Amino acid sequence: MIECICSKCYLIFSSSSLVELKTRLPTNTKVLQGTMSTWQVPLCSLLLREYYGEVVSKVGTYLAKKGLTPLRVIAQETSLKLDQVKKSLCTLIQQNIVAFEMNKRGFTEYCADVTRILHRLRFPRYMYSVKTLYGDAAELIIEELLHNGQMTMGRVVDKVTERLNEAMLDNQSVSPSLVKDKFAKLVYTHFIQRCPALVSSTEEATPSMPILAINEEDRFLLPTVEEAEDSSSRKRKRVIEDSSPTQAKRQKISREEKHDSDVHCSIYWCVNFDRFHQYLRDQGLISAVMNKIDKKASEVLRTMLRLSEVRTDFKAAVSAHMSTNEIFQALPKELSLKRQTLEQYLKLLTDDSTDFVSKTGDSGGGMYSINLHRAVKNLCKAHIESVVQERFGSKCFRIFRLLLLKGHLEQKQIEEFAMIPAKEAKEMVYRMFEEHFITLTEVPKTPDHAPSRTYYLFSVNINQVSRMLLEKCFKAMTNLMNRRDHESRENRRLLEKQQRVEAIAASLEQSGADPAQKEEVEQMITPPERAQVAKVKHMTNKMEQSEIQLDETMFIIQTYLQSTHVHDVKLK
Amino acid sequence: MASAHPSVKQEPVEAVDLESRIIELCQQIPKGVTDAAIQNDMPQFTPQQRVMAINRLLSTGQIDLLKSSTGLVYKLKDPSATSKIKGSDNQEKLVYQIIEEQGNKGIWIRDIRFKSNLLLTQVNKILKNLESKKLIKAVKSVAASKKKVYMLYNVEPDRSVTGGAWYSDQDFESEFVEVLNQQCFKFLEQKASKAKETKTDPIAQRNSSYGSSADVWKFISELGISKVQLSVEDIETILETLICDGKVERSIVASAGDAGQTKLYRAVAPLIQPTGLMRMPCGVCPVFDQCYEGGSISPSTCLYMKEWLEY
Repeated sequence: MIECICSKCYLIFSSSSLVELKTRLPTNTKVLQGTMSTWQVPLCSLLLREYYGEVVSKVGTYLAKKGLTPLRVIAQETSLKLDQVKKSLCTLIQQNIVAFEMNKRGFTEYCADVTRILHRLRFPRYMYSVKTLYGDAAELIIEELLHNGQMTMGRVVDKVTERLNEAMLDNQSVSPSLVKDKFAKLVYTHFIQRCPALVSSTEEATPSMPILAINEEDRFLLPTVEEAEDSSSRKRKRVIEDSSPTQAKRQKISREEKHDSDVHCSIYWCVNFDRFHQYLRDQGLISAVMNKIDKKASEVLRTMLRLSEVRTDFKAAVSAHMSTNEIFQALPKELSLKRQTLEQYLKLLTDDSTDFVSKTGDSGGGMYSINLHRAVKNLCKAHIESVVQERFGSKCFRIFRLLLLKGHLEQKQIEEFAMIPAKEAKEMVYRMFEEHFITLTEVPKTPDHAPSRTYYLFSVNINQVSRMLLEKCFKAMTNLMNRRDHESRENRRLLEKQQRVEAIAASLEQSGADPAQKEEVEQMITPPERAQVAKVKHMTNKMEQSEIQLDETMFIIQTYLQSTHVHDVKLK
Repeated sequence: MASAHPSVKQEPVEAVDLESRIIELCQQIPKGVTDAAIQNDMPQFTPQQRVMAINRLLSTGQIDLLKSSTGLVYKLKDPSATSKIKGSDNQEKLVYQIIEEQGNKGIWIRDIRFKSNLLLTQVNKILKNLESKKLIKAVKSVAASKKKVYMLYNVEPDRSVTGGAWYSDQDFESEFVEVLNQQCFKFLEQKASKAKETKTDPIAQRNSSYGSSADVWKFISELGISKVQLSVEDIETILETLICDGKVERSIVASAGDAGQTKLYRAVAPLIQPTGLMRMPCGVCPVFDQCYEGGSISPSTCLYMKEWLEY
């Protein structure tokens, strides 16, 4: 079932059995990801409702379904007031979900990007990644940016400093310059990027619609030191600890203060999701190597990935080449890996059956590159195999892997190679065929396709199975979220009571009441009620954890499909 | 008159003489006597007499008619064989011959019909006869369970018919295969863990965790769990299934000695933990496709979820 039925979108049936949905946009054709997906849109509407409320959810879902629509039509179809629609669109645009384009006939149309809505599932993972890399301050920076969509640097730094200081014990305080350093680091490593800014040229600007554009080089450009220190310069004069530049520059700042303040306020920053996805993908590869070989090998791979980060495009099939010398120099000192051991680990990685790394030459002590596309494919295959094993059992798993390894096989050959009795083997093959994990190809011997004279070959088509599993993931995620809603609705009265009691207790403590009063308040909740509340908390936690785990599967499959799409198109 | 009488009387005597003479010749020349040889030996007999004699010998089953590159030869038949099929007629002998030719592979009934050009009913009757005389037997083929192949009674059926070591009486021995599977894997796993403990060098670790198919075969034979003698190829098929299980990896190296290539196997750890989709009820739910919010099967009322959340 194809979701988009507006007049602007049309279908392309390509020979790789991939149906693409293309939208006619004035600038370039954008292929909407998630073609032929039934469950993506319900999932989006649930997510939007959870984060931003019912009205925004309605508008967002409508746009996700219909594609490019002008404002009036949205208001009409969703039967909401124009005012409400405008506010919702503001929220969605602020969150980088909705973009607008100028229609041929001269009015603005809005469209929603479904993948960006689905990123909300991954927010916890983004924050955790940054925390492990750069620490608490960076985590809070990313959290602020994720919550607010787009923000200026000054505001982010202010807010994060405030939050850190609140949470600090004793009388320690965190200086804004520390936070700013972290911010700069995040920009430097491309985790944060500039949002498209207003283009103030006179010819292209139209009275009704602003044009936003960003230069590729400017995307990760930190504003110069003077500009950066500008907006918080007032606050900075109050702060004693100051790692700011010398006297001369300070004078320069105060002179240029007024002039630069306008410029700086208009630079908005947002999170660069591609970079996070690259990082998560790399994490997947590293943990796979750790499971397969050992920890030191995974550290070697981590170093290699770090080296290739800046040189390789996210969507490339193979990373840039690096020599053994480079890798040896870039290894962390704690590993204390000798040169010889490093070479051995590189050999192990190259020879391994998962085919992550390959040797491309001998200069510089050996040139190596990481096969990103193949690595993601193998990882995706591992996830699919895990699904088969858990759902159908070990014997089916064996048959599935056999078909993956050997390609096309007849029923008899499957029985022979897998060493499973004929009756059982037949049952398993047909079960998997029923659930679309295996496909059947008929090769007739005679022109009349008589069943007794045709070869029936079974095989596995990874792309098809991946898409099917992705659909299942979407539906499973919707189920989880629905169930979570249901549980909290069922126990809403109890949870509200708990919240009220806690609030009363907290206020009593602040105003310094005696313990007897506090105990009275606490006793307002009976033990069975307390147990019930604990149970609901436990259930919600479990479901949220499951959502994150499910998202891991979704991420790998999506990365693989994206990567295949890019490389299949290239091959053509 | 006197000449006519002896000539008439001589005929039967000569006929019998001819037969015995031919038999003597056959005995003298075990390789086979050609027609020309008989003619040379006894030029006094006409071709018709010779033919009659030979036919009589053939029908009594004392000589065999064979075709060689030079022409037809007559060979003396083994007396034991002669006694066996004495009393059977030509057709039965023909069928018996055809079955004998096939050796230990056996022959299918349709092929017998093609070779002997007999009717189906006739062939059936003959086969039943021969079976009752315990000269041939029917063996069920493992490939197609309805197909029966016939072979001589005392001949051992070939592996392709019975399926080899994995089949006993046409039944696939799945428990036997399972046990072998586990034992092979345990052997390789132990080797791998020993390698990890003793060697520090990663390459040496990997190399010493490899076991060749010959090593595994020796281990299994020493275990003595198999009643049937297993060959290295059998063990290799078991190891192939372990590769399909994802527990074992194979690499082929050129080896010294007479073997051209050896296959080395080692136990491997899986690439990932069980995937997220399978850690929740929806992954294994049998009615996943019928579930939707507001229906009789829905996430809010799901029993599997309820049990899972209580855990």
